[in-house]
Amino acid sequence: MISCRNLTRRFGDFTAVNGLTLDVPAGAICAFLGPNGAGKSTTVKMLTGLLAPTSGDVEVCGLDVTANPLEIKRRIGVLPEDLGLFDDLTVEEHLLLTGAVYGVDRKQTRARTSQLLHALSLEHGRNTFAVSCSHGMRKKTAFAMALLPNPQVLFLDEPFEAIDPVTAKIIRELLASVARRGVTVFLTSHILSMVERIATRIVMIRKGCMVWNSTVAELPQSLEDHYFDLVESPVVEELEWLGSARS
Amino acid sequence: MARVSAILKALSVAYRRDWTAFQSLAGNNFFLATVFFLGKAGSFIYLILGLVLLFPLSTDPLRKIPASRLALWPLEPREHRMLRVLSPWINPLTWVIAGLAIWTVGRTMTFGLWGLVAGIFAAGFLLSDLPFAPAQGLWRRVPNLPGPLNQLVRKNLREILSTLDFYCALILSLSAIGFRVARVAMPTVAIPTEAYMGMTLLVVLALSSYAQCLFGLDGEGGLSRYRLLPLRGWRLLAAKDAAFLLVALALTLPLAPLVGAGAACVALAIGHSPSVHRPRRQTRWRFSTGASIMNGIVQIVSMAMAASTIFTNPLVVLPCVAGWLVSLWWYGRELEKAQEK
Repeated sequence: MISCRNLTRRFGDFTAVNGLTLDVPAGAICAFLGPNGAGKSTTVKMLTGLLAPTSGDVEVCGLDVTANPLEIKRRIGVLPEDLGLFDDLTVEEHLLLTGAVYGVDRKQTRARTSQLLHALSLEHGRNTFAVSCSHGMRKKTAFAMALLPNPQVLFLDEPFEAIDPVTAKIIRELLASVARRGVTVFLTSHILSMVERIATRIVMIRKGCMVWNSTVAELPQSLEDHYFDLVESPVVEELEWLGSARS
Repeated sequence: MARVSAILKALSVAYRRDWTAFQSLAGNNFFLATVFFLGKAGSFIYLILGLVLLFPLSTDPLRKIPASRLALWPLEPREHRMLRVLSPWINPLTWVIAGLAIWTVGRTMTFGLWGLVAGIFAAGFLLSDLPFAPAQGLWRRVPNLPGPLNQLVRKNLREILSTLDFYCALILSLSAIGFRVARVAMPTVAIPTEAYMGMTLLVVLALSSYAQCLFGLDGEGGLSRYRLLPLRGWRLLAAKDAAFLLVALALTLPLAPLVGAGAACVALAIGHSPSVHRPRRQTRWRFSTGASIMNGIVQIVSMAMAASTIFTNPLVVLPCVAGWLVSLWWYGRELEKAQEK
């Protein structure tokens, strides 16, 4: 469902993503992991057609992303890094806009909007302008926008960040449920415990290069240990001045 | 005192970096037109200066510190008071006003005019100190429109309503309407019909800088959403244009509507290029800043030519509309190309 070959993106002399090759089958939940600045968001932008690759090929739903940008946009749902919300629209208006633009009929849009607002505990804030929403509400709105058109592939950039535990569980179960029905989920996250529970495939990236790609069952140790071994080990500095007599 | 001076130093650095208010003066068509055509009108120019320059600049520098952060800092009440008194002097306009006060006493500027300028400054300062939020209840009442772009057009209408350009155009339109009503009451007063054409042009002129920065209030999130929506570029631009045209037509309908429509189409046709190729971020509750003075001059001259020609021959509105449609199609394609980069 998602396929890329030697995907590379350079910004001047800096190579953000270097020769990434991967295949994600339909119905998989692929977690794309790496430290800040590793190239995760750049990869998601290239897979969703938001950023042209410097070289390499990307196919989503069997279509070349660069050659069919509009058709790809119709088939995917995206939770972008910056959430992509308009300050001047309310939570509900964002969902109504999504339905209208993706060609979902009015009745269906209304029904799906109500269900999503209820499922994601957004009903109380349905008439709140995005600019006045908390970060969690904004994230849930953007997530609901990704789901509403019933996409074939979901690209989610940090879906669990700034989300309360109850909503995180709801999102987790929603994703597991849609994946069982054949929707492919490609997500980035720093919350390894959450990833371990939901993902079926793990891809790790470090300084733009892929360092691991396997199913969860093929991991040789716990995800956290493997991540620290392959991607980066935490170095804890002793800050001796903390807690000592005040200067 | 060390804490207060450290905060004031940080504030002055932050304030120096915020030059958008000065830019809003340089790139606003209404100000440019005022300078060109009304320069000899004496005190009127000061009023325009007050509206365009002083109001947006008269923000309280202390507001640059988030209220929650200011409340967390371990400052004594005495230090809070010192910050309150000293921070306005970081704003260069405080010094300008003080200098003007000393210089103008008994010279070119009358006390009354100086008082007006100082009053605008004080109003801006006081308003900026209030926990001011857009009229959210009013924003929700923006009517629904037919078609799949309804929510986009509503959003774009709300954006226009949060620029000072709209309120400047509204004041001009209401003044002209008031004049027209007064004329009905006093049929002996002769007013040339050209006056309505001029006022209509002035109304559209006040709005026209916004046509050069159609995506300026969408923010990073909005711009990335545009790239995700499965819509052709011309439809995204059309949603922007529809909001602009609705406002322009509503404000010019009681004056010279054909002239208003033609001038608005010309403003959009010329504004598409900078909107797509040189998108410039705008600030709410300030005047819009055009891409460049040259763009503004081209827009003003073209609008004036179109308005005067439509006034003598109403059919000229058709080529204006055609030009706008061609520009919409062309820059829609350009927008798609820009989004793919």
